[in-house]
Order: sequence, then C-alpha cells, then structure tokens
Amino acid sequence: MTTQAAPLVSQQRAPLSGLWTALRIFWLGVSRNRAGFIGFLGIVFYIIVVIFGPIVVPFDNEVKLDEIAAPPGTRIQLMTRSENVNTYTTLESLNGKVVGVIGNTGGPKLVEPYEDTFEVEEYRWQAGRGIDRALEELMDGDIDALVIFSQTVKDYIDEPEQAGNQNLYTNLAISNPALGPAHLLGTDTQGRDIFSHIMNGGASLIFTALLAGLFSTIIAFSLGAFAALIGGVVDRTLTAIANFVLVIPRFPLLVVLAAFVQLNNFILLATLIALLSWPSLMRAVRSQVLSLRERDYVEAAVALDLGRWHIMTREILPNMISFVAINLIFAVTGAMYEQVGLIFLGMAPINDYNWGVMLYFGRSRGTLFNPDSAMMVLAPVLAIAFFQVSMVMFARALEEIFNPRLRSSL
Amino acid sequence: MATRSSPVSSASSIEISLLDRILDRWQKINSNYVVRTIIQALITVWAVITFTFFLIRLMPGNPIQVYVAQLMNAESITYEEAYGRAAAQFRFDFNASPVEQYFDYLGNLLRLDLGDSIISVGTPVISQIMRFLPWTLFSAGLGLLVSFVTGFVLGMLMAYYRNSPLDHILSFISSLMSAVPNYIWGLMIMVVFGVQLQWFSVGDLRGTYDPRLTPAFTPEFIFDIFKHALLPVITYVLGTVGSWMLSTKSSTVSVLGEDYVNVAEARGLSERRILTAYVGRNAALPLFTLLAISIGFVIGGSVLIESLFVYNGLGNFLFQSITGRDYTSMQGVFLFITFSVVLSNLLADLLYARLDPRIRVSGEK
Amino acid sequence: MNDEIVLKVEDLSVIYNSSRGPVRATSNVSFELRKGEALALIGESGSGKTTLSLALIRMLAKSAEINAGKVLYTRDGKTRNILDMNDGEMRAFRWNDCAMVFQGAQNAFNPVLRIRDQFLDTARAHGRNDKEWLRQRTLELFKLVRLDPQRVFDSYPHELSGGMRQRTLLALGVLLDPQIVILDEPTTALDILTQRAIIDVLNEMQTRLNFSIIFISHDLALAAEMADRVATMYAGEIVEIGGVNQIFYEPLHPYTLGLLRSVPKLSHGQDELVSITGNPPNLIDPPSGCKFHPRCQFASEKCSREAPPLTEYDAGHQSACWHVDKVIEARKDLYKKKVTES
Repeated sequence: MTTQAAPLVSQQRAPLSGLWTALRIFWLGVSRNRAGFIGFLGIVFYIIVVIFGPIVVPFDNEVKLDEIAAPPGTRIQLMTRSENVNTYTTLESLNGKVVGVIGNTGGPKLVEPYEDTFEVEEYRWQAGRGIDRALEELMDGDIDALVIFSQTVKDYIDEPEQAGNQNLYTNLAISNPALGPAHLLGTDTQGRDIFSHIMNGGASLIFTALLAGLFSTIIAFSLGAFAALIGGVVDRTLTAIANFVLVIPRFPLLVVLAAFVQLNNFILLATLIALLSWPSLMRAVRSQVLSLRERDYVEAAVALDLGRWHIMTREILPNMISFVAINLIFAVTGAMYEQVGLIFLGMAPINDYNWGVMLYFGRSRGTLFNPDSAMMVLAPVLAIAFFQVSMVMFARALEEIFNPRLRSSL
Repeated sequence: MATRSSPVSSASSIEISLLDRILDRWQKINSNYVVRTIIQALITVWAVITFTFFLIRLMPGNPIQVYVAQLMNAESITYEEAYGRAAAQFRFDFNASPVEQYFDYLGNLLRLDLGDSIISVGTPVISQIMRFLPWTLFSAGLGLLVSFVTGFVLGMLMAYYRNSPLDHILSFISSLMSAVPNYIWGLMIMVVFGVQLQWFSVGDLRGTYDPRLTPAFTPEFIFDIFKHALLPVITYVLGTVGSWMLSTKSSTVSVLGEDYVNVAEARGLSERRILTAYVGRNAALPLFTLLAISIGFVIGGSVLIESLFVYNGLGNFLFQSITGRDYTSMQGVFLFITFSVVLSNLLADLLYARLDPRIRVSGEK
Repeated sequence: MNDEIVLKVEDLSVIYNSSRGPVRATSNVSFELRKGEALALIGESGSGKTTLSLALIRMLAKSAEINAGKVLYTRDGKTRNILDMNDGEMRAFRWNDCAMVFQGAQNAFNPVLRIRDQFLDTARAHGRNDKEWLRQRTLELFKLVRLDPQRVFDSYPHELSGGMRQRTLLALGVLLDPQIVILDEPTTALDILTQRAIIDVLNEMQTRLNFSIIFISHDLALAAEMADRVATMYAGEIVEIGGVNQIFYEPLHPYTLGLLRSVPKLSHGQDELVSITGNPPNLIDPPSGCKFHPRCQFASEKCSREAPPLTEYDAGHQSACWHVDKVIEARKDLYKKKVTES
C-alpha cells in the first residue's frame, strides 16, 4: 500500500500531515482517474440527495385512489366544457364558479386554498363510479370545471373502449393540462409519488450501511492488528475463528438469525451485519500489519521500546489510512447488499419507507408483474445500483491511486 | 538410588517416545496437504453443527421456545403437550441433560435425521432437502462455471491488450457488473426483459421444470431444465463475472511479467501453447482461493435469487420455511447450505492442489 | 575456434519510444561472432547490452523498434538476415539456432510443469516429437551439466535449487544444438561456489558442443575467464572490441580503462579503487560528439564536437577514441603495483 521509501521518516511525521498528504494524493489521482471521478461525483450526488432530498421533495404518504400505479409524467389536470376551454384555465379564473373534485384523490387538497373563492362539489369515489357522475354533471353544466387526474382522462375520454367504458363523454376538453405537479416517476400501488419516495428513502439505508461498514471495519482492524502484533496463540485462535466465520454462508445465516431476533432497529441490524462480515478484512489487515511491522521505521520504534499503542497509532495506522478508507467503502457496499436483501425478503423491519421496502412491496403486492408499475421496482433498483456502482468505482480508483504497484500493472 | 529411579524414568521415557511418535505421525499427516484440507473441512462442519445446536437449543428465545409458545397459543394446549410435540418434531429429549442432547443431536445428524417439517406435517426435513438441493447445486454450479470461464477469458483478453480501448471498456463494464448486487440484476432482468419487453414469460419460467413434463432423460426435459435455470444462472453470472474479470486480469498481468513466459517465447514455443500451459494455467491458480469465497456467495445468494424467480431449490425452500416459521426445516436447510459450501470449498482446494504442484505436499506456496 | 562467421551484426540501432521521447538504446552497433568463440559484452547497467542481445532474437518490448541495421546469420553456408524473417521463421530460429539464457533464470521454468514436459515442449515446438530421442539427449545433457539425470528429469522446478535450475536451463539451452547461446548475466543470483561450478560446466559444454557464446556481464572477472573476445559498450555503442588479453591488459579506450580500475583486485588495497565519475548519459538527449566525453579525463574540445569512429589499432583490436595515445600512457600504472609486488 505504502511506498518502501522514507524509513525512519514516518516516525517524525504526525498522523495529521499523513492525512493531508493522503488527501492531496487523493485529489490529484481522482481528478485524473475518469471512473474514479464519476464515482466521486456519484457519491457527492447521493450525499446531496440524502440531506436535501427530504427538504425539497416532502414524503408523499397520501393514498390517492385514482392514481394507482400511474406511469411517469402523469399529473392532475383541469377539465371544462369545450366552450370554456380558453376561459377556465386556472383555479383563479374560476372565481365564483362551481368546481368538481373527487374524494380520496389529489384533487381536494389542490383546491383547498381556493375554498373561499369558488364552490367545491366533491364526488365520492365509489370504486371509480363517482367519476362517471362527475363527468356527466360537468357535461350537464352542474359544475363548471373538474379537477381530474390525467390517467383518468385518458381512460374515460381519450380511449374509452380500452378502459371498458361504454359511456361517451363529448363536449369536454382539458383547459389546463398541468394543473398539479407531475409525478416524475409515476405513482405506486397506493397512488403515492414514487419520486418523493426515492428522494426520502435513501437516508436510513445509507446510514445503516455506513454504520455496519464502520462497525465491521473497526472489528476487522482491531482484531487484525491485535492478532498480528500479539502473535502466538492469540493470532492462531483469531485466524481460526475468522476462517470459520468466513466459510459460513453469510446471507442465509443472516436470514435465519433475522427470523429469531426481532431486527426492529437499525443499530441492531448494522451490528448483526458487522458481526458476520469482518473476517476477510481482518485477514487482510493482519497480513498488512505483519508486513508493515517488517519496515525499518517500525523496527526502529520497536527497538526504542515505544510501546504497542504508540507503534500501532503512530507508525502503522497512518500508513494504512488509504487501506482503511478503501475497505470501509467495500464494507459499506457489502452491508448495503445484505441489508437490502433482508428487507427485500421481508426479514427486516418495514417500519420506515426506503428503497428496500419499495422493492419488498413491489414484489409482495405483485407490481413486479404489472407493466404499468415498473417504476415502483425499477426506480429503487436503479437508485441502489448507482449507489453501489459509485462506491465501487470510487474505491477502485482509490486502490489504483494509493497502490502504485497496482497502478502500473493495471 | 539409580536402580530405584530407573523403572520410573524408563516408563516416562516410553511415554515420551509414544507421545513423540503420535506427534510425529500427526505432523506427517498434517504436512500432507490433502489430508490436512479434509481434516480442516471436517472440523469446520463439526463447528457449524455445534454452533447450530447452541443457536437452536440453548440460546434464550430460541426457536424451540418460540415454537412451543406458538403451539400453545394456536391450539390452546398445555405447555407439556406443546413441549412434547416440539421435542418429537425436533428430535430431542427434553429430559436429558444438555450434553446428552448434544450427542443425540450429533448422532441424529450423522444418520441424516433432521426432524420433521413443521409446515408439511409428517415429512422428514431431509427428504425435503434432498428434493431441493440438487437444483441449487445445478443452477448455482452452472452459474459459477459459466461466470468463471467467461470472466477468465475476458480477463485474459484485458491483460493481453492492457491499456487498449478494449481493456478500458471491459474494465469499466466489469467494475459496473461487480458493483451491482445480484438480486438487483435479477429484478432488472425480470422487470425490463420479462415484464416490459415481454421477451419471456415470467410465469412460465417459474419452478425447476414444466410440471406437465415427466422427469426423464429426454432431450425435451433436459432442454426444459436448462430453460428454467436460465434466469437464475444469468443472474449469478452477472453478479460474479465482473470480479472474475478483474481478478483474472491482475493475475494474468503479473504472470505475463514472469521470466518463464519470456523464456517460453525465446524457446520458440507456439503462441497457443504459451497462452494455455504457461500463462493461463499459472494465472488461474490464485483464482482458486477466490473460488471459495465465490461459492459461498453464490449459494448464499440463492435465497434471494431463487425466491425471486420462484426456482424450487434450497434457497427458495429456506425462504418458504422462514416465512412459514418452519424452524426444523430452517435448521436443516441452513446446515445443508453450509455443508455444500464447505464441500465445494474442499473440492476447490483439492483441485487447486492438483493444478499447483508446489502445494501438493508442503501446503505452503 | 575457426574463422567461420556465424553472426554478423551491421549498424544495428534500437529505439525505445518512451513518453519523454525516443531512447536510443543501441546505435550503429557492428560486430562479428565466429564459430565456437565466446564474445563478452561488458559495460554498466543501461549501456545497451541486454537490448542488443534481445534484438538478436527479436524479443524486444513492444515499444522498441529496430530502425536500422542487419543481423546476418549463417548456418550450413546459408546466410539470412534475422530482421527479415517472418513470425514462423523467427520462432523456428529461436532456440533451434540461437538460445538465450536470461538474467535471473531462477524463474525461467513454468512452476506447474515437470522439467521433462518443458523439454518436450521445446523439442515439439521445433518439430522433434521423438520422445525416446529427447529422453536420451536430455539425460546426456544433464550428465554434462553434472545433474542427477533421472531425478531432475521428473522434477518440478520448485524441487530444484537455484544452481540446479541454472544448470537445467543451460542443458535446455543446448538441447537443440544451437549455434549461438546468449548468456545474460547467467550467474548473478547465485552464490560464489555455484557460480564457479556453472562457469566450469559452461566451459566444458562449449568445448564439447562447439557453439558460440555471447556473454553479457558486468562481472569483469567472469568475462575475463569465459571470453575469447570482449566488447565494451557505452551508451548503446561498442566503444572498444578486441581479444580478451588486449582488452584486459592493453585497453585502448578510457571507459574500458575506468571499468578495469573500478574492479577490486585481491593483490591491491582498497584505496586503489577508482570509480568512473559522473552518471551514465541520458539516452534521450545524449551528449554531442563522443558520448563519453563529459566523464572522460582525457576529453578535449574535439571530443565534444566529433564522434570518434571505431578504428583498428592492433590486430583485431578496435577502439573509438581520439586520444588512444593518452590511454596507452595512462594504462601503464594499471597493473603496476601488482608487478612491483610480485
């Protein structure tokens, strides 16, 4: 990982300046490494989404009966009789008129601020039959405009045969095709906005994965360094335990454990993942420390009797910073794999809404097989995939930057 | 004094020499790579069994207790009745001491008696496992084989044409593929190609073969088996081929720098011979250590992949057992998945030893 | 030794294309190799010895380019230019006509194949599929290099020691009875006793099999012992070439003289050691005129202006220097102490 040069020099170097050098090498490398730069941008993007996403796009938890599994781009529109199509184009223009909305849809909320300026006629949903009445009354002139979802318009007005509607609604036209905000990614099986779920559903997953990665890295480093520095029976025992845990298929064990232990909080989940994922890194750390211990400056520190703690924190750790960072990233992606896998199978708590839960519902509610609701599965799939790709690209770039041997060979 | 002490000392010297001989014998056994690998595998199996025993029997809130509570609730029977039924299904004697129970457990496992399934009442767990295990071994094994071969060939290409556009493109693709979780690939295939583009019917490909066909060695049936395994296999390949490519590339690059490759060229050997026996074989060796990890990963991932595609293998069975709280089956499947991984690791290690003469005897590279 | 010439190199130049510009690794190298003779190439690291030898079997790195010259190879009265051969002819030429024992031959054998299979590979690549012939020939050669024939034949490379591997490689080198064997630092990685044994084996093999040797070394003592003729290389050029005694006792080039002075001799004290001052030249932008002039104690203004041609001063002894007379003056004290002491 580190260069052979500078024997004895490291001893005088404070850990902070080592960190600073690492940061400089990092920036020089990343700005030249295309894949690494893309990964870096990806991670920055995810950080921004996780922090600001919930503020910009609030979580949509409102069930909307007319917007079930709607395709991307659909939105609420304003419908009038054809003669008014140029007059009643906004809710403001309907001052003093009668506006129809359908209950349990996005409509009532949209007209709420205007209840003083016009009269609102609310139709009951009645399993969709309320729409027929609203349309008839709009034609008859009982109401002047109807706040209606674009997909409904398509089903009832544009392609009535396809929707199985024998009634023909004539003399109706859309006066404002963009009354409400568009569902960028469509809606889920409860008519909720998928985009808002994507923007809000990353934080808890990423946080848990980070936590698990951090725990696992800490365990791996402590045990690995401990085994390498103490040696003897301790070393052999720890290595044997690591080899044993390594051979047990991790995911099935996690699934079985999840069936017994109620994984009702994310710290427990992160800990469980960490407890099963440290061995391979521990072995790598062990051999790293063993080889670093052979370096001249470490041997000098040993000869000066500076103590194990000093040697570990001042001589060895600063030289492993890049190694730690790279493996932390890989540990996070591993934890993400397991965490989402558990949620997808329904083995982890479903008490908050995240990308994994979206996948779980996507499967358990059968949306997986509905061509119209592909986004409900595809959106979280892509969100998770790009997160993993950014992390791995970034880590691989770091590997190349900090390992000159690898760089020359790749 | 000397005469008195002599019998004692000679006795102890006999003991020491016996101990020495045992130790010596052990050293000899242990220095044989094959024997040592097998012994290690057996120790691992024993440790897994012991671990499972503690998990199932002795851990507070263990499945037996949970199951007893469930029985009492569901069928309003007494604690003793419920406990008796659980004991029978789990094959343990709750009057015996924990040590006796442990040895009973070991004995039962040796006889492959894993108890009765809780959901399918009266069905031994082992018969369920034997029904599902072959499919997992078939699909995961095929996936691993295809991905290893593809990744190896592409990785060698990357190493041969390193720093060319081909290398850059393949490097990018392989990083991409290795980063995306396998079940995410599976979902993408399903949603994009199955549901959106309708290239195949998701429903028809469920299960391990078409139930209308009778299992037989007919071309039709064999084709059907491969057809049903296609989606899981593709998913396993997509999930692992990237890391095979990257590992093969780096090991090939280092082999290409070895003297013996240069010397082979100077000896006038044909390019094909150098590529296969000199570069390929040596580049493949370090990959065998990765094979062990990969086997565990693929078989472990079968829980997700098989339940996603409803492929009736051990992974899907584990998922069904868990959702149905079938604790006896869960225990059995977990043990068998672990045994499969240990066994596959063992085979990989032995194959490694066949290919690398350096570790056949000494075990050290 | 006879006068039959097996290899004639004319004006050979090799350029490496590096990111900082073309590196002239060898320029205008010419020499002849006679049947059964041993020619040693001496010089510092980076003087172009290895590049030259790799060019002879066309195994240079992809970035290298032979941009001028001829390498004429003669066997059974037929002369061909190696640089004109196609890939198939080149493969046939390698090992069959010219074998090369590389530097650090410790890893010259494929670790996963038995020695006998690697011998078989080599024979098969040159169309000799007779296993019984191969076996006889190999065992005979193993005896010649003083190895336990049957044991080595069935061994894997890791079961042999470094010296054994080196001898096995020598045996492999002469398996197909080549006319030329190139030895690139054949003994560097070995201990002194093994070096001795290898040299003895080489001398014996050469007497028995009568092949020509191109011997690359910076160990002057070995060169003195092995070679019939010696060529000194500096900055990719041959600056002096002559018989072994001429080079070692009557050097005509200041660089050769410097090399000889930098070698410790048992009879001399350590204070006598003089290393050549300065650094090897930059081959991307070499010095003008004589490339050695920045480091040369005799350098004059002419040296930096005009490159001296390789000129014959004694029979078979050529040097590229404007101030041969000064070298002759300076070399007088080279072995003076030795003379006075003995």
